[in-house]
Amino acid sequence: MKLSNILVAAATAAVVGTTSMAADIFVVGGKPDDPFWSRVKKGAEDAGRVAEAQGGSVTWLGPQNYDNLGPDAAELIRQAIDQGADAIVGPNWVPEAMDPAFQAVVDAGIPLVIYNAGGIEAADRLGAMNYVGAVDYKSGYAGGEYLAKAGHTNGACVNTLPGAANIEAFCNGFNDGMSDNSGTGSVLQLPATAFGDSTAVAQAVRAHLLQNPDINAMFAIGDQDTNATISGIQQAGKTGSVHVCGMNFNDSILANIQSGTQACAIDQQGYQQGFFAVSILNNHVMYGTTIPTREILTGPGVVDASNVDLVIAGVEAGAR
Amino acid sequence: MEMMSALLRRPAAASILSLVGVLAFYVIFGGVDLGKLLNAASWVNYAARIGIVAIPVGLLMVSGEIDISIGAMIPAGAMSAAIITGYYEFPMIFGILGAIGIGVMVGLINGILAVRTTVPTLIITLATLVAMQGVVLAGSKLLTGSASVPLTAPGWAKTIFGQLMFGGSHQVIIVWWVIFAVVFWFVLHQTRYGNWIFAMGGDKESARNAGIPVNRMTIVLFVLTATSASFVGMCHAILFNSAQVSGGMNDIFNIIVSVVVGGVLLTGGFGSVPGVFVGTLTFAIVIKGIDFTTIDRNWSNLIIGVMLLTAVAMNESFRKLALTAVLGKKENAGDSVVAVAKNN
Repeated sequence: MKLSNILVAAATAAVVGTTSMAADIFVVGGKPDDPFWSRVKKGAEDAGRVAEAQGGSVTWLGPQNYDNLGPDAAELIRQAIDQGADAIVGPNWVPEAMDPAFQAVVDAGIPLVIYNAGGIEAADRLGAMNYVGAVDYKSGYAGGEYLAKAGHTNGACVNTLPGAANIEAFCNGFNDGMSDNSGTGSVLQLPATAFGDSTAVAQAVRAHLLQNPDINAMFAIGDQDTNATISGIQQAGKTGSVHVCGMNFNDSILANIQSGTQACAIDQQGYQQGFFAVSILNNHVMYGTTIPTREILTGPGVVDASNVDLVIAGVEAGAR
Repeated sequence: MEMMSALLRRPAAASILSLVGVLAFYVIFGGVDLGKLLNAASWVNYAARIGIVAIPVGLLMVSGEIDISIGAMIPAGAMSAAIITGYYEFPMIFGILGAIGIGVMVGLINGILAVRTTVPTLIITLATLVAMQGVVLAGSKLLTGSASVPLTAPGWAKTIFGQLMFGGSHQVIIVWWVIFAVVFWFVLHQTRYGNWIFAMGGDKESARNAGIPVNRMTIVLFVLTATSASFVGMCHAILFNSAQVSGGMNDIFNIIVSVVVGGVLLTGGFGSVPGVFVGTLTFAIVIKGIDFTTIDRNWSNLIIGVMLLTAVAMNESFRKLALTAVLGKKENAGDSVVAVAKNN
């Protein structure tokens, strides 16, 4: 590609970008290399094809890491405003830090959809159009309930993102799901640097299981953490006696469910979150349409040995 | 031509050229709307956040030492303010003093260990980094039972440390950064203390023999780095109404990279405050500017790595130019660095 061609392309992009009728939608989310968030990103971009066909665009804004989640995400929301967004999608991970930034979006008259974290309460409080996502507490609850009903009644929730409201809700839900079904739940708290660091999570799980030999159920908050938790259980020599459910899934987790090393996965269907949040906003900016159904739930759904083959077929078809 | 070469010999030259290069790359290959980028607050806010720490770290590195405990001091400052004022509901001033105090304390520990032992400061501050991570997490869980503490700061504290200026997105911390830069520029380049720091970085023994209070200066520099980090943490806690235990860990690399892009020699004796200032701006634009491009975000880390390598390589060649031009010959002995740096 010649330099002149690049310049022409850049100029064209600039012209297209400033067309007034098209929707430039900014989506604030997780790191693009996070398996779960790459699925959300794909959903947002697939919905964005419609926006692009109409001359609009979808831009993904993610933090460099999760060390400073709330403030970093708040910064990205403000950045989206500065970049001239026609509509913004964002998760309400840390309300104290992020609410003022969401307020600035609404004050600027930019349509807003909260997704992934925060629930309809956050959308109502902030004046957002809608909430698209799973209810974290219910997701955790489903995991606790599933394991306790299967007879594994002493559970621990592995929290690798202390402080993030949605993760706290997973663990609270898990503990309640356990105790409502005559079990007991506890939380294994790790420093946030452990999130995504499989070795650190596995070592912590191994040590925790050796110290607390009664634990026979565990809950992990993401697909990488779930694999790490299973590895920690193996290292503690407890495979088969400690049963694991985890949030989200990927190919290796589905294989683990098929082979029986993992009991269940709680699916919040990230693809749907990105897809519907962007679709709602694009249609709203283009045509003024709304979705009167408040709180678009995308989860929880339990994936276990009974339906895993169907889910795998769904993955192959690109639908999950 | 003489002016041109004089400019190129300054420690800030490479960082200014890096800045121009990065902007050109983003505009040509990323389709960046320069007006939009320059008006946006995200990269300036980020630059200020790491820049306030980068300047004292730059001075410390010029003196031949390094401090990586800053990574733990940013959350330590934030958590001190949030626990004292947010959880125990003491007046804000105690939260502020607590955040500054913990910085001074850890800085003193780092500094005293550095002058009393022969352990490299990389190892000393690695130890305090890890130790402070433990203190912050365990302390927070012990005192509040949580790893994240909300904080509602009073109006005056918000105005001074944590507001968004002019109703926009620019944080007041930017003003603090500029003040820090001006004060440290004056100290490093206009006072004898600055000359002492360069001399320490050139050769510590000679500096001591020349009557420079090397130990006292080293301790002061360590107190400045740790305190500036806890100050940034405190400002962030006030602005974002909350603090969490592990915020800011990744900043260690970002701050040190900014200092190095800004033309400070890792082995000491060479560098400038304007260089670090521009280096921080460059790094912030590299990190945050990618969002303004049409480049797929999946490539962002590769681009950041290549750009940083290019910037540092440029620094290297400009520094050689500076040293050889002043000496008028190719060889350069270690202590001549002091003489060159003093000219700035």
